[in-house]
Amino acid sequence: MTHITITQIMFCVLSLIAITSAALLIFSKSPIHSVLYLIVTFFAIAGHYILLNAQFLAVVHVIVYAGAIMVLFLFVIMMLNLNKETETHKPMWIQLMAVLAGGAMLVTLVGVLKGAEQMNLKQANDVNIGLVNNLGLVLFNDFLVPFELSSILFLAAMVGSVMLGKKTIS
Amino acid sequence: MKVILLLSVLGLLALFAELFRFKKILYPIILIGLAGAIAVAISYWFFDDGVMTPYFTGMVDGKHQIPTAANAVGHSFNQMLAFGPSSVLFSVIILSTAFLWFIMSKGFFNNDSTNTDHYALIMFALVGAIILTCYTNMTMLFLGIEILSIPLYVLAGSKKSDPLSNESAFKYFILGSFASGFLLFGITLIYGASGSFDLKTIGTFINTSQETIPSFFYAGILLILVGLLFKLAAAPFHFWAPDVYQGAPTPITAFMSTVVKTAAIVAIIRLFLSTTFSGADAFWVPVLGVITGLTLVVGNVTAAAQNNVKRMLAFSSISHAGFLLLGVTALCGFSAKAIVFYTAAYSIGSIATFTVLINIMHQTGSDAIESFNGLGKKNPLMAFMLTIALFSLAGIPPTAGFFAKYYILTAAMTGGHNWLAIIGILSSLVGIYYYFKIIIAMYFKKPTDESLITINKQHQLLLIVTGVIIFLLGLLPDLILSIGDIDKASIEVSTTNILFLYA
Repeated sequence: MTHITITQIMFCVLSLIAITSAALLIFSKSPIHSVLYLIVTFFAIAGHYILLNAQFLAVVHVIVYAGAIMVLFLFVIMMLNLNKETETHKPMWIQLMAVLAGGAMLVTLVGVLKGAEQMNLKQANDVNIGLVNNLGLVLFNDFLVPFELSSILFLAAMVGSVMLGKKTIS
Repeated sequence: MKVILLLSVLGLLALFAELFRFKKILYPIILIGLAGAIAVAISYWFFDDGVMTPYFTGMVDGKHQIPTAANAVGHSFNQMLAFGPSSVLFSVIILSTAFLWFIMSKGFFNNDSTNTDHYALIMFALVGAIILTCYTNMTMLFLGIEILSIPLYVLAGSKKSDPLSNESAFKYFILGSFASGFLLFGITLIYGASGSFDLKTIGTFINTSQETIPSFFYAGILLILVGLLFKLAAAPFHFWAPDVYQGAPTPITAFMSTVVKTAAIVAIIRLFLSTTFSGADAFWVPVLGVITGLTLVVGNVTAAAQNNVKRMLAFSSISHAGFLLLGVTALCGFSAKAIVFYTAAYSIGSIATFTVLINIMHQTGSDAIESFNGLGKKNPLMAFMLTIALFSLAGIPPTAGFFAKYYILTAAMTGGHNWLAIIGILSSLVGIYYYFKIIIAMYFKKPTDESLITINKQHQLLLIVTGVIIFLLGLLPDLILSIGDIDKASIEVSTTNILFLYA
């Protein structure tokens, strides 16, 4: 037990927070509580990003997800007054199938991690790897084509949402 | 890349049409643009070395990329896209289908306030489809799938007043984003094991470290497969397909079952028939074999039970996905070419069938099989052309569909999957049953009313053209196959596929 580093302790604590809040998010009856637990999950994951030297990603994650998107979620829930504990009842066999499928998935994913600890790290543990400078260099050199093409993706999403929101003029 | 740029520009142009008041001439502009895109794609076939030198390498600081002969030819744009022979063939199939689709669905772009958006979204979806024909990097795969899907989520719900259309869009969106999650998870696991997004590097990784590949790499292959099979609507990931296909506006259903299916199968063969995952075939071939068998059986048997033509076509498209997967499972030198032929035959047949269905639905207001009763007397041309198309989809000689099925089955036999080939033959017999239900309704059932069914000149021409193509492909199947022939002698080994995909 002599080799436990501070990083490992932090990893365990953050993982515990993330998993607990994610479970609470699913099991809580009120949508508002779910959203609040989701924010906690996002912060825990942002902590993981920092442990992986992805500082920029961590900051963006907090600003975009925990900040902007969650506010939007809360706003929609309150505006539509979804705070009722209405849950449609699913037939027994569907629940059973879902548990079976999800369980098989869980077993597979946990099982395949066996032997992963002996792997060599592919990327050297570079402290600066997640800084804006490096990220920008990678984005505008190696990943320039996907970066430019993602603008088509966002444009399509924008056009789509405008189209769905537009009033039909007859 | 030029095709992608051209299609994006057409999409942008469509968005500006309302502002600069050229909405009236947008339809011909898009058609001409698409024809241009087809020409550009074909031109890659003839001038493929000079044209594809990278535009985007070494732009920022020079230390990263110096274009060399090795990465300039074939593998351009920082190893993101490679426009090889298979890319050319599949893009031409996708773009030609889209061209015919535009002729078919002129009515979908009727004069309401959102029609320019429809054009733009379709163009963007085509950009995604073209990316899927030529990606060589996992990031491009994900981007292509998303660019293809997001416009379609919206278009599926474009009949805003119809609750079925809304349901269709919602189901497609929720389940589609779920499937994208699987795809991303798979890509992540593979990146974790191999340290690269590049398809060639991943292939080299499999071959050099056979024994020491961590098991989560295989989980990654499975998860990617789940994400892609969802888009192809293969069983058991097909549950969304009937509802989405039935609820969406009929032209969009036609688009989904032709262009999207072709794009999804290209995405699969670029991963599984190329050097990327073919090194791990001992792992994924049995899995895909089971899925193929299941898809063939489920698609055909459930289609036979349908009484609604649109829903039946949805289920039959699942069974065609099964045939396409059979070609992938076969993993022999002939696979990729058999799939090229199958997608061409299937797309043409579907376009013809949907053209008739749109006219019937427009005039009788119903898509039940009874509305086809007596079409042979009401409109002989339509009935005859639909019969040819259905013959082709069912796989009856001398139509294109027969040779498509024949080649796929040959590939399956060559690959040593005799059982799957037998399942394929048996299930296509079931297919003949439900396609003939429509033909019997058209020629041998008494019509419910005396009203004539008319068809406009444009659709008439389209039906004749598709009928001629179906016969041409059926009588001269070598027409497409010989184009893809790089080395006829080496048809036995799977290196042909590799040459075909990456040359």
